[in-house]
Amino acid sequence: MDGTNNLNNIYNTDNMCHTPRENGGGKLRVVFGDVTLGLHGGGFSYIFSYMRAGLESLVRDGVEWLYRAPRPAFWRALTDNDRGNGFALRSGMWLAADQFIAGTGTQVWVDGKERPLLTGPANNRYSDREYADRVKIAFRYQTVTVPAAEVLVSYEVSADGAIAVDVHYFGKPKLPELPVFGMRFIMPTKAVSCRYEGLSGETYPDRMAGGVPGVYEVSGHVTPYLVPQDCGVHMQTKWFEVCRNTVLSNVTKGVSSAASAGRKGEALSAGDGGTAGTSRLRFEMTERPFAFSCLPHTPQELESATHQEELPLARRTVVSVFGAVRGVGGMDSWGADVEEPYRISGEKDIAYSFRIGGIL
Amino acid sequence: MKADIRWLDDPEVFRVNQLPAHSDHSYYGETPLSQSLNGDWLFCYSVNAAGRPERFYEPDFDRSGFDTIGVPGHIELAGYDRLHYINTMYPWEGHVFRRPAHCADNHTDWEHSFSGADYNPVGSYVKIFDLDPGLRKKRVTVQFEGVEQAMYVWLNGAFIGYAEDSFTPSEFDLSQYIRDEGNVLAVEVHKRSTAAYLEDQDFFRFFGIFRDVTLFARPAVHVEDIAVQSDLQEDCLTGVFGLRMRLSAEGGKLPEGGAAEIVLKDAAGAVCLKRSLPLADVTELAPERLGAVRLWDNRDPYLYRLTVTLADAGGQVYETVPVSVGFRRIEIKETGGKKIMLLNGKRLILNGVNRHEWNAKTGRCIAREDMEYDMRILRENHINAVRPCHYPDRLLWYGLCDENGIYVMAETNLESHGSWQKLGGIDPSWNVPGSLPQWREAVVDRARTNYETFKNHPSILFWSLGNESYAGDNLAAMNAYFKEADNTRLVHYEGVVHNRAYEDRISDMESRMYARPKDIEAYLENDPKKPFILCEYMHDMGNSLGGLGSYMELLDRYEMYQGGFIWDFIDQAIEVMDEATGEPVLRYGGDFDDRPSDYEFSGNGVLFADRTEKPALQEVRYYYGRYE
Repeated sequence: MDGTNNLNNIYNTDNMCHTPRENGGGKLRVVFGDVTLGLHGGGFSYIFSYMRAGLESLVRDGVEWLYRAPRPAFWRALTDNDRGNGFALRSGMWLAADQFIAGTGTQVWVDGKERPLLTGPANNRYSDREYADRVKIAFRYQTVTVPAAEVLVSYEVSADGAIAVDVHYFGKPKLPELPVFGMRFIMPTKAVSCRYEGLSGETYPDRMAGGVPGVYEVSGHVTPYLVPQDCGVHMQTKWFEVCRNTVLSNVTKGVSSAASAGRKGEALSAGDGGTAGTSRLRFEMTERPFAFSCLPHTPQELESATHQEELPLARRTVVSVFGAVRGVGGMDSWGADVEEPYRISGEKDIAYSFRIGGIL
Repeated sequence: MKADIRWLDDPEVFRVNQLPAHSDHSYYGETPLSQSLNGDWLFCYSVNAAGRPERFYEPDFDRSGFDTIGVPGHIELAGYDRLHYINTMYPWEGHVFRRPAHCADNHTDWEHSFSGADYNPVGSYVKIFDLDPGLRKKRVTVQFEGVEQAMYVWLNGAFIGYAEDSFTPSEFDLSQYIRDEGNVLAVEVHKRSTAAYLEDQDFFRFFGIFRDVTLFARPAVHVEDIAVQSDLQEDCLTGVFGLRMRLSAEGGKLPEGGAAEIVLKDAAGAVCLKRSLPLADVTELAPERLGAVRLWDNRDPYLYRLTVTLADAGGQVYETVPVSVGFRRIEIKETGGKKIMLLNGKRLILNGVNRHEWNAKTGRCIAREDMEYDMRILRENHINAVRPCHYPDRLLWYGLCDENGIYVMAETNLESHGSWQKLGGIDPSWNVPGSLPQWREAVVDRARTNYETFKNHPSILFWSLGNESYAGDNLAAMNAYFKEADNTRLVHYEGVVHNRAYEDRISDMESRMYARPKDIEAYLENDPKKPFILCEYMHDMGNSLGGLGSYMELLDRYEMYQGGFIWDFIDQAIEVMDEATGEPVLRYGGDFDDRPSDYEFSGNGVLFADRTEKPALQEVRYYYGRYE
């Protein structure tokens, strides 16, 4: 079944998506696993992995939204101007940081109270009937840069399934400028579209004056620059929704009505091209608008291609939610740096937050 | 006269038997007076001059081995000879050591530099045609609107002429040799000649007949050239109108008693002026005040319609010439110690873009639809000025600019970038045209052709000497030519910033490229001699065009900062079939095994190569709209 089993082995999407097995009073059902922390509620199931240092599974209405655990994002595929002004020669270590990162610690708070020891044998004291109003889990990461920097990412899940994400990069003296900083979510299959409320078109901090506020829908394609490069950033976004109609799951039969709710009774089908109706996942601003991109390729894939046709077949969705975006510049393409206000210092902290919307 | 292959090597030979450059006016009689020779031509490719079919122009030459090729088009895109993109380096870099003729005493081997080269491809074109009925028994010329890079022409076995200057019309008189039927027109196109030193633009290096080829028949009396004077007096209200025509007649002598009737109408058809002049070799209407006229500018590109009718004593019409006329005034005026460029008395702001002619499928051979599409893009995005870079565009473009109110910096076909800038450093040790007397006429002629061809277009506010060719006596001579020929427009040239010794003789404005805002401030804060523009700025390569606001705000702070031209309008990339998938894909320098190359450096447009909009265009639309 061409590669779809892997995911299925980790988690059988459809069978595991339940409404709370008993009425927990509208609370989260918490599974204090040996390796993971499971949080379940009406129409959603989340699994945070201590081993994989992140949110390993995000299921909504039976649809898995994560391919691998989200990671801090430190790289954008060089723009022609980045190349021309030698940005990679100064900041290339962030490419490695983007590709490789160590999870260095996890903390969990249940209803505001930290639970120090979670895995076995300490978790033997828990049962199959654990409930909470909100659970927060924080992952600490250390970059492979020299010197190393730390990033703290916390997810606070409330009973309606909303996930408040707080991201904090701790700057370090001597670290070079960053091309971006954010969180990257890779989704198992390719999105069909992405709606957002923000500015029209592809915008960057130094190229957004012409962006017109509104609600827009984009196809999630790579902007076809002659040489593939970073693209598709949308500044000043209030929310965006990723829309998918395929899943990797092999299950085509015996799907419960709950699992297919909202999909007009169509069965979810396997990764051989079947459609699953349309599912949406919504990301929202909390205090401030944010920047994001929704593309079918990673920065590394874009970086490696010298022509559009060299990009691999688009098969996933790469969503980046940014706390900082470097401008594109353009005074020339052979030396002029991006103007100072639009550069991102690696020496200063970057903190931002957003929310993955709950079940309405 | 016989053709001489050594003209390729001699910078002092660049036009032989060509008609003098003249205004691009159209004319009509009772029957159609033009005939297109576009279409399939017989064609033979040779890798160098030694291997070419030398006598292919003889009518009974055996051309059974010839292929056919489409005209207009680039020879490379027909599958002969390699596509090659390179920026400043001369295209033979690393392959052949060359120095321009006369540049240094120790380089005397230029005499066979191009004619004797192992690699200097030749396209031998033949068109066999009958004259359309309306053109028979008349004087007939052939006009090549654009041929890269040097061409020899024969008709029915007789040598007709030779031309360089790839981007302006080359016209030859065929009358002596043309027949009603079975004409054999032969054109030998050489990829490179000494013109290669002057056409080192940052683009794909093509050769061949890449613009229209047209036969023109002249009525018994014909306007060879018309220069319209449509000035605006200092009050910016009063129009002044005059004209000067050069007439020709069959047999050489103008008939007695005929007249040229001159009628100027406004756009609604009301007659503003009507005069009748006797026919003379040079027929002149002295400038007359018209009273208040409606002005031409970007917001209101109002055009008057001039009609010149040549008729004999009995009123029988020879031909009619329509010309669009716009009244506007461009000047530099000093007010409050500031020298500012004014259009119709108001400060001019250039929200411009550089534009190469480009089509991803056909290269620099572009169609009317491409131009009309481009014009729509300019209008919709508040782009009010265009710099045809770095050569004159197709004739039709200038008329579209008149009608749409687009300010044109009319650039002469000149760039010798590789002769003075190497590895980013300035080294003019063998710069051409420099101050070498043997190169002077070639470049002054390019200036003259530019002026003479396009002089009647109100859209042209500036003559530009060319691009990135350093500065010397010869650029100064071009500047002097424009000043003498035309006191109603300004002259532009950027390259003098690299040789300030010439700055009082070259360019009416301080022009820079890619200067940072702080450098512009530094110039404008320190007793600036000239108004300032950026002939190139905001290099829109790939995902770019960030920081435009920093330039736009200078418009608010400095009256003498008068805008610029974004680099550039459209990505230059070529659509080919992917060798791996068979799908159409866009390819750039180096993708054709062409080396050395500058790869993707030609992809800097606000449009992608397929003419779809880049995301950056909305930023242009916003800022240019604010300063419209």
